[in-house]
Amino acid sequence: MRITQHPILTFERGKEINFTFNGQPMKGYEGETIAAALHAAGVKVLAKSLEKHRPRGFYCAIGNCASCQMVVDGEPNVRTCITLLREGMAVETQEGKGTIK
Amino acid sequence: MKNKADIVIIGAGMSGCSIAYNLAVRGAKNIVVLEKSFICSGSTGACGAGFRMQWGTEMNCRMSKFSTEFFEHANDILEYDGDIELRQSGYLMIADTEKELTQFRKNIEVQHACGIPSRMMSLEEAKELVPHLNTDILSGAAYCQKDGFLNPHKTTDAFYKAAKRLGVEFYTFTEVTGIKVEHGRIVGVETNKGYIETPIVVNAANAWSQGIAKMVGVELPLYSERHQILVTEPVEHMQDPMVMAFNLNLYVQQTPHGSFIMGRSDSGEPRDLRRTSSWHFLEEMAKTIDNVLPLIGKLRVIRQWAGLYNMSPDRQPIYDKVEGVEGFYVAVGFSGHGFMFGPVTGTVMSEMILGMEPTIDASRLKLSRFAEGNLFTEPSVV
Repeated sequence: MRITQHPILTFERGKEINFTFNGQPMKGYEGETIAAALHAAGVKVLAKSLEKHRPRGFYCAIGNCASCQMVVDGEPNVRTCITLLREGMAVETQEGKGTIK
Repeated sequence: MKNKADIVIIGAGMSGCSIAYNLAVRGAKNIVVLEKSFICSGSTGACGAGFRMQWGTEMNCRMSKFSTEFFEHANDILEYDGDIELRQSGYLMIADTEKELTQFRKNIEVQHACGIPSRMMSLEEAKELVPHLNTDILSGAAYCQKDGFLNPHKTTDAFYKAAKRLGVEFYTFTEVTGIKVEHGRIVGVETNKGYIETPIVVNAANAWSQGIAKMVGVELPLYSERHQILVTEPVEHMQDPMVMAFNLNLYVQQTPHGSFIMGRSDSGEPRDLRRTSSWHFLEEMAKTIDNVLPLIGKLRVIRQWAGLYNMSPDRQPIYDKVEGVEGFYVAVGFSGHGFMFGPVTGTVMSEMILGMEPTIDASRLKLSRFAEGNLFTEPSVV
């Protein structure tokens, strides 16, 4: 879902961007965050809780909570709600607390 | 609150709680512990949670071995209903100069004479143990597997609960406002909650101990100094030992939760009772970690905090009965390692107070050593 009409804001969509989510090709738009593009594509589960592995989705949307942390181009714990989409990004669901390399 | 006690201990951190337990277990009665805030609210609760046996003087080696052996069985000895979270995952001491490496070799000779299983470690082996260690800047390392970590809050809680079961009374949020001395003898303690008559006062207030001593007209040769620590976001387990360096100036451990806790010293820190955090520390700590363990530099900082070292001229504690004020004892000046020496502190002080034969020799740690110029200098402190 993407908001196209809004009483105050106007949305000018950037150019189309290709990225992958767990290896699957996906499309988003320039100027969107990773989490926004995933949400628009119907991906609701971004992470799993650490102890009970319960699904975690789009939540605070301002980089404060840990609900949207994912592995992006090999880097763990990326806050996808405040990270802008770039061409060719490899976005993956993170298992556990992440491993730094 | 009681208005009469046989022994009043001031301060309920690791030292105060251990002294209380050790006195009670040796049969002392009517013990009261006064704490101006909550238990573990001072230096114990802010510390880096490590303990080590890699020291450079025989007395410290023997005392730390005594403490370590106690920690290994503390859950059972103190019949603790929780867990002190002991992890003997080692201390890796790293050197970046030949001088420091030579000191490590000397230290290890002293440690071996005391039966401590430490050893020199090659940089190749150190890199295997801690793959993210920047060995390019190092000259060598020393290691002891039996060193490690324990939870300061839970360890103090274990002593506190054991002491309480033995009848010790703890009064928190009870601040000592004065100590009454008559004809050169302690007769009582004034607090914000009332007066307690007592012939014996034990000053275990560490960073606040100078103020307590002044109440009986004693000037302790100590100053309190801020030291800072930060903690990062958690990641999967990647580091077993504490990595510690004197010259490069850092210590860093990964907690079971996955976060890294790290600290360093700074000669520019204020020498008073401030426990605020500084930007300067954050910057210097980040530079240090980027240099020594670069991968950890990628992690985000969650928060930072500060605690107080109670510094003595030779960076060693003072365990003594103060001359001229009958009944006034001090266990102060821990200079940053009071938590890990807690079991020794309790043992030494309780035997001194009760006039018992000492189980462990701490005779070099008398207050008179400073006036006599007989300092006991430990080469290996951060």
